[in-house]
Amino acid sequence: MADAEPNGIADITGAVRQGLIPAFLYNDAQVHELERTRLFGRSWNFLAHESEIAQPDDYVVRNIGDDSFLVTRDSDGQIHVMFNMCVHRGMQVCRAERGSARTFRCPYHAWTYKNDGQLAGLPFHADAYGGEAGFIKEGQALLRAPSVAIRNGMIFASLDPDAPDFETWLGDYAFYLDFYTGQSEAGMEFRGPQRWRVEANWKIGAENFMGDSYHTPHTHASVVDIELFGEPKPYKRKEGVLWHAGPGGGTTYKLPPGSDFGSGLAYVGYPDEMIDRMAATLSPAQRALVDEPGFMPSASTLFPNLSFVHNWPQTDAEGRITPFISVRLWQPVGPGETEVYSWFCVAADAPEDYKAASYKAYLMCFGSSGMFEQDDVENWVSITTMARGSMARNLLLNNRMGLTLDGEPIVDQFEGFGGPGTAYQGFGEHNQRHWFSMWADLVSQPAPARQPMAFGMGEQPA
Amino acid sequence: MSSGQSQAPLPYTDERHQAAAQFLTEEAHLLDTSDFEAWLGLMDRRIRYRMPVRVTAVKAADEVDVQTMHHFDEDWYSLRKRVQRFQTDYAWTEDPQSRIRHHVSNVRTFEGSDDELIVESAVLLYRSRGDRTAPSLLSAGRTDVLIPTEEGLRLRQRDIEIDESVLRTQNLAIFL
Ligand code: FES
Ligand SMILES: [Fe+2]
Repeated sequence: MADAEPNGIADITGAVRQGLIPAFLYNDAQVHELERTRLFGRSWNFLAHESEIAQPDDYVVRNIGDDSFLVTRDSDGQIHVMFNMCVHRGMQVCRAERGSARTFRCPYHAWTYKNDGQLAGLPFHADAYGGEAGFIKEGQALLRAPSVAIRNGMIFASLDPDAPDFETWLGDYAFYLDFYTGQSEAGMEFRGPQRWRVEANWKIGAENFMGDSYHTPHTHASVVDIELFGEPKPYKRKEGVLWHAGPGGGTTYKLPPGSDFGSGLAYVGYPDEMIDRMAATLSPAQRALVDEPGFMPSASTLFPNLSFVHNWPQTDAEGRITPFISVRLWQPVGPGETEVYSWFCVAADAPEDYKAASYKAYLMCFGSSGMFEQDDVENWVSITTMARGSMARNLLLNNRMGLTLDGEPIVDQFEGFGGPGTAYQGFGEHNQRHWFSMWADLVSQPAPARQPMAFGMGEQPA
Repeated sequence: MSSGQSQAPLPYTDERHQAAAQFLTEEAHLLDTSDFEAWLGLMDRRIRYRMPVRVTAVKAADEVDVQTMHHFDEDWYSLRKRVQRFQTDYAWTEDPQSRIRHHVSNVRTFEGSDDELIVESAVLLYRSRGDRTAPSLLSAGRTDVLIPTEEGLRLRQRDIEIDESVLRTQNLAIFL
C-alpha cells in the first residue's frame, strides 16, 4: 500500500527541487504518511548519547516516529537498540523513560528479557507450550533495530536493514559535527532532554537550524535588545557563511578580523582549559575554520531532524560571555505536531565552573524556556496552522533566496572558507534547498521492503 | 519536595500563614496583569527559582526528576533578563499577549529557620493564545521560602514540581 505511487508526489518533489515549496507540505496527512514510511523508514535517526546510559545496566526509551526503542547498556557495557514490543503479544516491555535494569519483565504475561534483549524467562514454558516442542525459547530476543551506528558517542539507528554505511553517508558533515560533539577526548556529556510538544510541523525547525540566518535579526531582536546575545545584528549575521556538506548544513558567524584558533574560541567565551581540549581533538583542517578569515559554527542540521546550536550569550551581570551547545530532535507526532527533545551538551571533563555557566547560557537561550526558542516556536506554530487550509494548496512558497530567476547564484561560492562542502557568504536558502532535495529523494522512493518474522517457530530472527 | 514537610503546617488562623497566602495571591495577580516589574520586586536578590525536568521512572527507582536538567534554573540576573525581554517591542511570542490566569490553592505554611516561612502551594496556569490554537494548562506544586523584610515578605527560593514529563505548551514564556 505504501508502495503505490501517491497522487501528486512527482509534482511536489518537482516543485521542491526548483526551490518552490507547496505550502500544504507543512500540514498534510498524506505527506506525513509518506514521511513516516519512506523518509523515517530509511533515514539514520538519532536516539541517545552514550553518556545518558553511562553505567552498565542503564537504559533510556526513545522513539523513531511511532516506534518505541529500548536503548540499553548491558552488564558487559555493550550498547543495544531494541524494539520495545514484547514478541509474545505486543505489550510495550518497558514503560519508563530511563533507569537501570538487568532485566525487563513484560507487564502482561511476565516474559522476561535480559538487557541485551535475550528472552530469559517464559512462565509455564513446559505447561503452556509443551516446552521447546511448542515454542522455541532458545535464542529468542527482542527485535533489534535493523541498523545501528555510533559516532562521537551519539547513537543512531535506521529502520532499514540496507541503510547506507553511516560513516559513508555522514561524509563531510563529520568535519562540522566535531565542533559540537567532539570537543574533548573525554567525550561529551548530554543532559536532559527537556521534552515538549508544539503544534508545528517537524520540517520547519530542521530547515530553520540548517540555514536560516535571515530570520535571526528580526525574530530574535529582543535578545539583542536586552543585551543577552549581541551577534544577531543584521550586519553581523550577513557576514556569516552558510555551508552544506554531506547530509547536513549550518550557519556561522564571522569572527573579528585577525582571529586565530585560540583568539576565536576565546572571543566566544571558551576558557583556556577548553581551548586546549579542542586543540587536542580537532584536526589542523578543522582548527583552520576558526583562523582568519575566521568563522564560528552556530546552528546546524543533520538530515532529517537532528539539529545543533552553538551561541555565546552574556551569562552574568558582570558581562561574562559563555558558549553553550544544544542538541535537539524534531520528532514528528502528526502532520501538525512535533515533540521537541532538547539536550544540553558539554565536554565531560570541562571545568565545573565552565559547565555551570554554559548550562546557564543554554537555559536562558534555548530549550523549553529559552528566550530564543520562545519566538521561534511562535512562528512555526503559525506556519503550521496556516498550511492546513485550502488556499495553502495553491501557494508555492519561495525557497530560492540566493538564486537569480535563471537559477544562477547571486554571489560566487566563498573561496576563503576553511571547511569542506559548499559555502556562500551572506543570506541565502542554499541549505534549505539542499535539505529539501534530500527530502525529495526519500519521499519519492518506495519504503524499504519489510520481512515479517515469526518468533518461537523455528527460524532464527536476524 | 514532593514528600513535603515533616512538621505540621501552621493553623490557618495563624497570621504568618495568612500573610503567606496573601503574598501568593497578590503575586499571582501581578503575573496575570503582566506587571512583571512589580513581580520582580517581590524577589529577594539571592533568589533561586527552579523547575526540574520530570521523568517517568519505575516506582522502585524513586526518581521523580532529571537531577541535572531543568526547565528553569534562575537567579536574579536571568529572571531580570526574562522580564526585560517582555518589556521590549520584539517579544513576539507574547505579542499579542496570552490570556493567562494563575489559580493558586492548597496553601500550607510551615515555620522555617530564623523567621523564614516555608510555603507549599499548587498552581494551575491557564493560557490561551490567539484565536486558532487550543488553550494550554500547566499544573504544578511549589515549595517557596519566604523571608520577612521591612517591605513585607520576599521570595528567597522557589522549587516548582511540574506535573508533566512532556510539556503540552509551546514554550515557557510564563512564570509559575
Ligand atoms: S505480551 Fe508480553 S508477556 Fe505476553
Ligand atoms: Fe531562531
